[in-house]
Amino acid sequence: MSLIALQALTRRYGSRRGVEEVSLSVPEGSLFGFLGPNGAGKTTTIRVLLGFLRPTSGSARVFGLDCWRESPRIKADVGYLPGDLRLYPWMTGRDALRTSGAVRRCDLMRRGAELAEEFGLDLHVKVRSLSRGMRQKLGLILALAHAPRLLVLDEPTSSLDPLVQEQLRDRLRRLSAAGHTVFFSSHTLSEVESLCDRVAIVRAGRIIADSKLDDLRRATGHEVTIRWKDGAGASGNAPPEFLRLSRTDAATWSGTLEGPVSRLVDWLAGKPVDDLAIGRPDLESLFRRYYEEERSAP
Amino acid sequence: MNRGLFLKAAREHWPATLSFGAAIFLVETVHAYVMPSIQAQFGAQWAQLKLIQSVVQAMLGTDASGGMGPEMFLSIAWVHPVVLAIVWAHAIVCSTRMPAGEVDRGTMDVLLGLPVSRREVFVAETGAVGSGALCVLTLAWIGNRIGGSIASAPLHAPASRVGIVLLNLLCLYLAVGGFGVFVSALSDRRGKAMAVVFIAVLASFLLNYLAQFWEPAKRVSFLSLMTYYRPFFILRGGSWPAADMAILAGMGSAAWLAAGVVFSKRDLSTV
Repeated sequence: MSLIALQALTRRYGSRRGVEEVSLSVPEGSLFGFLGPNGAGKTTTIRVLLGFLRPTSGSARVFGLDCWRESPRIKADVGYLPGDLRLYPWMTGRDALRTSGAVRRCDLMRRGAELAEEFGLDLHVKVRSLSRGMRQKLGLILALAHAPRLLVLDEPTSSLDPLVQEQLRDRLRRLSAAGHTVFFSSHTLSEVESLCDRVAIVRAGRIIADSKLDDLRRATGHEVTIRWKDGAGASGNAPPEFLRLSRTDAATWSGTLEGPVSRLVDWLAGKPVDDLAIGRPDLESLFRRYYEEERSAP
Repeated sequence: MNRGLFLKAAREHWPATLSFGAAIFLVETVHAYVMPSIQAQFGAQWAQLKLIQSVVQAMLGTDASGGMGPEMFLSIAWVHPVVLAIVWAHAIVCSTRMPAGEVDRGTMDVLLGLPVSRREVFVAETGAVGSGALCVLTLAWIGNRIGGSIASAPLHAPASRVGIVLLNLLCLYLAVGGFGVFVSALSDRRGKAMAVVFIAVLASFLLNYLAQFWEPAKRVSFLSLMTYYRPFFILRGGSWPAADMAILAGMGSAAWLAAGVVFSKRDLSTV
């Protein structure tokens, strides 16, 4: 079942672009990475999901409910961490948990205290006295404390130290394993790669890729590096049509293999190969490739 | 009303309510304390001077030349520019806090991330602003009573008449606050919203002031909120200014409702 379903969602700010014709489906229990550079439309999408912004056209549904009309019902089971988190400066962590609990009509103090201990946050300190990283931790605690069915995190690791980032990733993996869904927006490729099982790439307001990370890698072929003996790369070897080269010199060829690996192995048989490396591309190269394709598209 | 939202909003208003409440308490206490001695020094011959009549008329916003008795001195405590400035400042500060203040400060995303409807947010905010207004006016009344009670020869006005003045002042607060909430609902910048309301209130005050001396201003004086707030007549005659209060309350309520509609329909997020 899709927990989040966007159908041709468009949101414009007057003449300015927000997102265009975005269609997306996030399955329940998944760790969904929403990847794109700054200004690509990630936060706009999230704000539509939470009912802050009304779609210009298309539809946005969470738990099968309309994001604009039924926003309060949706948010009862959503934990949200904004990208640019600002909390009330006069509040302590305890005040924030008490307020959130009073609004949600449940006691969040016990669970909040557990999370604060896990993340190493003193709940008695006022927000105005907390460092940026500590505020981010408090935001995460507030998003997690009511054990929501869906967690929407907009660039959650910004200003967290690497140890806490790892703690957060562990926590999110455990949540996902327990059936909770995580919508993880980020512009950091490595963290999406290490955490998410599914990824959508957004660029200039449009989704340019959306699939499981493994499928994405499979669909985009293998990264290949061939090292030639004695400069054989320059001695009349023309690359086969299934090998798209991005770098060619006398000693090294590197590029993308389309189709099965056996074809390349067969083609290389008897050729003066010194070394051969074949692997699935990492997310960074996928991301670059998508962007280059988009840029070179007419 | 969502209790959590109300408590949060009330906590946000608390510093302004406490400061302005303390200020108006002091000002009212001093007014009520010194007015009897000023009245004692104010001989009948002074009241005949055209200049004095003009100054009093400008201050009261109405022609009181026929009745410069204790009511005039009592009413000064409720129309003095410092008193009005405090009441308006509280109305402007509190009414523009949400949504413009929340958006401006960047906390709107956190607030709307909670499982509440915009109507609930608006109602809680209205409740908090209303409670703050009642606190400030109550402190004004207490200050006035204390100042009067410690004065050597206190000026007495029936409690019911003072009560009507306070209700009329509450209606004036509602009108200014309603306009503030409406401007705030249209804005993402609190400073801008406050400036717009301040200019409108100042213009309203000046219009009423000019209308006392200048015929063209008198013709359009119905546009001034101050036209519908005249404590002097209430304290002198004891009658209910029902029409004046209805106009102020009607304007305020309409603006407040319009703000609620705008707030529930507009896009909202941290900019």
